[in-house]
Amino acid sequence: MAEKILEVKDLVVEFKTDRGKITAVNGVSFEVFKGKTLGIVGESGSGKSVTALSIMRLIPSPPGNVAGGTIHYRGKNVLDIPLDQMRTIRGNKIAMIFQEPMTSLNPVFTVGNQIEEVFELHQPDLNNQQRSEKAIEMLKLVGIPSPESRVNEYPHQLSGGMRQRVMIAMSLACEPDILIADEPTTALDVTIQAQILELMNKLQVEMGMGIIMITHDLGVVAETCDDVAVMYCGQIVEQSDVKTLFNNPKHPYTKGLIDSIPSFDSTAGGARGRLPTIEGMVPSLFELPQGCNFQNRCKSVTEKCRGPHGEPKLVETKAGEFVRCFHPLT
Amino acid sequence: MSDTQKSKSLWYHAWESLTSDKMAVVCLLIVVSYFVLAILSALGFVAADYAKEIGPSYAPPSSEYLFGLDIFGRSVLAKTIKGSEVAMSVGLVTGVISMIIGVFLGAVSGYFGGKVDEVIVWFYTTFNSIPYIMLLVAITFILGKGIIAIYLALGLTSWVGLCRLIRGEFIRHKDREYVQAASAIGGGDFRKIFKHILPNVLHIVIINFSLQFQVAIKSEVILSYLGLGVQGVPSWGTMINDAKLELARGNWWQLAAATVAMMIVVLAFNILGDALRDALDPKLKGK
Amino acid sequence: MIPVLLGVCFIIFILFSVLSPDPTLIMLGKHASKTQMMELRAELGLDRPWFIQYFDIVRSTFTFEFGRSWSTKQEISEMIKNGAIPSLTVTLPAFILSSILSISISLVVSFYRGKMIDKATVFVCVALMSVSSLAYILYGQMFFAFQLGWFEISGYEEGFPNFVPYVLLPILIWVVLSIGPDVRFYRTIMLDEIYQDYVRTARAKGLSEKAIMFKHVLKNAMVSIITYVVIRIPFLILGSLLIESFFSIPGLGGIILNAINSSDFPVIRAMTVMSALAYILFSVLTDVLYTVVDPRVRLR
Repeated sequence: MAEKILEVKDLVVEFKTDRGKITAVNGVSFEVFKGKTLGIVGESGSGKSVTALSIMRLIPSPPGNVAGGTIHYRGKNVLDIPLDQMRTIRGNKIAMIFQEPMTSLNPVFTVGNQIEEVFELHQPDLNNQQRSEKAIEMLKLVGIPSPESRVNEYPHQLSGGMRQRVMIAMSLACEPDILIADEPTTALDVTIQAQILELMNKLQVEMGMGIIMITHDLGVVAETCDDVAVMYCGQIVEQSDVKTLFNNPKHPYTKGLIDSIPSFDSTAGGARGRLPTIEGMVPSLFELPQGCNFQNRCKSVTEKCRGPHGEPKLVETKAGEFVRCFHPLT
Repeated sequence: MSDTQKSKSLWYHAWESLTSDKMAVVCLLIVVSYFVLAILSALGFVAADYAKEIGPSYAPPSSEYLFGLDIFGRSVLAKTIKGSEVAMSVGLVTGVISMIIGVFLGAVSGYFGGKVDEVIVWFYTTFNSIPYIMLLVAITFILGKGIIAIYLALGLTSWVGLCRLIRGEFIRHKDREYVQAASAIGGGDFRKIFKHILPNVLHIVIINFSLQFQVAIKSEVILSYLGLGVQGVPSWGTMINDAKLELARGNWWQLAAATVAMMIVVLAFNILGDALRDALDPKLKGK
Repeated sequence: MIPVLLGVCFIIFILFSVLSPDPTLIMLGKHASKTQMMELRAELGLDRPWFIQYFDIVRSTFTFEFGRSWSTKQEISEMIKNGAIPSLTVTLPAFILSSILSISISLVVSFYRGKMIDKATVFVCVALMSVSSLAYILYGQMFFAFQLGWFEISGYEEGFPNFVPYVLLPILIWVVLSIGPDVRFYRTIMLDEIYQDYVRTARAKGLSEKAIMFKHVLKNAMVSIITYVVIRIPFLILGSLLIESFFSIPGLGGIILNAINSSDFPVIRAMTVMSALAYILFSVLTDVLYTVVDPRVRLR
């Protein structure tokens, strides 16, 4: 049985805006295990990035703030600990990589310098020589050729894929327990995407960390995740292991997402038919409907969904399988 | 069935953001009042008696003479109000002149590039190499004294900053996808410049305008000190210039009136300019 | 660079030879006779064809032979040498002081962005900028020098430390005039950097806000700061025309002002050329510095 290292419970994150307060994350719970990858899937605005940032306490505040819930890392609620303690965890025990490798690296420092910085912060006993050697080692680990010379190069001298590898190197330098990857491949070419995902899988096997993979791309989910949580309007609407999710989705939204993946042998809509889509748009967080958030786009909507029973609750239908729907698909 | 979200344009957002900032609204009102005052004064409805001797020379401020009197016994209050005509018109005309020249040259230079760009860049680099005050004084010297000379001198020396900014923006934008898209549907140069790129740089123009306005007001003061300012009609610059002699005798109120009157409107413009920048520059949202 | 210099010569030529009122009138006074004026014009070379006059300007630009001042009859290069030092005694310390102050203040203010100290400081800066420099000078002289007697009202004495009491107030006024716009500019630059993605990455690595500010943000902001600072240096030598005029400091600024008032063309030409040259030189210097500070710009 894999070791549980992170437990998020009933997380609520709010943002104050000119037009009022919105709840970007509304009661989200999940667990992360060593050596396993949890995928968090959703469209833009579903709250998945905000969830990830909360784990690291990187939500800019103001205007955001964590209004409720707990995040237990190895038994301690990181939302409660003082900020300087949190800093010893960041980049050290829990690390994060971001979507835009172009801009996520500091342009005026060498790649090596930026990796070494992590050691300076969290492994101060190392001397210059050791730090430098470890930086080169990390570059080798993530598959960058001629690391000894690359280490002195600047971010702009590397391609997008290389930069993301550097980000991965930076984040894994201190062998964290958890790696949070926020859309790590979205900004990259498809072929590079595959390489990066393969790299991450390989490193997970070698280093044993848990990964939270945030993405909107179900293809990425299929490649990398063991368990999946689907988010919509700040809530988890379905959660299960990856096989069940793809073979037997229970929430109409999940089914819609899966159906809209184009494939060469898709017969949806006929051989020359239109690509299936989910009709409508994600509602604005300022104007959420009464009842189920998905009602205006759902193919199986009924009167029950429109308000008289409030919002559907997240229900565990089978061990480890959750769905938030009045009429889950079977 | 499905709720379509109203897509609010940048301008709508900007207006909302601006009007919700109380400070900005106050400043806007101040600026507007100055304009109104200047117009009323020009039409003769207020401060018409600015040239009349209404009391003893150098009478200090009192309940009778609110801002005191100057050396000729004229009301400092009336002179201050009259002076707003020069100030507001100078600011307005200068802003407009520098806007026209700056935007035109910047757009042409940034958009067409090549030789045209080289020439224009050479032109404004040359302009910039000459110290501002020198150029200003030289031009007014040549054009003679008077308000038109000031308009021209200030206008001709203040367009370089805007030109540079606009040029930079056009360079950035002209290769952007949305402009290429315009090409793809058959849009020509003219259309691309005016319909597509220009609206995206309008916020820079507006912000720059508010900046130029107050620089112009302050420069007019300096020109007046140098004796190159407006003749005949009192301006804040001439009032401050007169103050040179008065201060030694302890007569501070003319200097104070002109300084404060100018400070209030310039401060209002500065704050307004900041608020405009926050409201209009989409990149700055959230700061 | 050369084209710009030629352009500057051209503008000077247009302004002062073509468009400007006849200097002989000013030099000889209202009652000069026509023959006197004609003689003077010939003497000064004002009756030569325009392209020769223009060429003359260009030649003196590249050889630094500026001739003599029409009004004081001094060698212009002498005048420049003598005037440079007094200008610098005011501008140099003022520049260094205001730069240090401005950068420090903007660092602090950027660190505490959004809080009261930030808003208050910005407001104070804007308020400072809204007052005319003339007002500062006049009030400064009247209040601090005249009434309180803390400083000398005007005048100048050569040699260190003799000039010190005369330059203190001018330096103070200069600093007050520069702080407003400088702090606002630096603050904008720094805030631009703070919201960049790499700062988020730095935070995610566990860096403290202070370290982020002083290591990551500052180094990136340096690029723009250096451009801003370096390009102002050539103008330091010119001095502030107004300050030197009011405080009777015999610097280059005062020289320029007098020259303009008396249509002293050689002096005007010389000063303009010098400042254009300095500006161009320092632009090149800035570009070089850019490559040192910003690795993205380095030539491979």
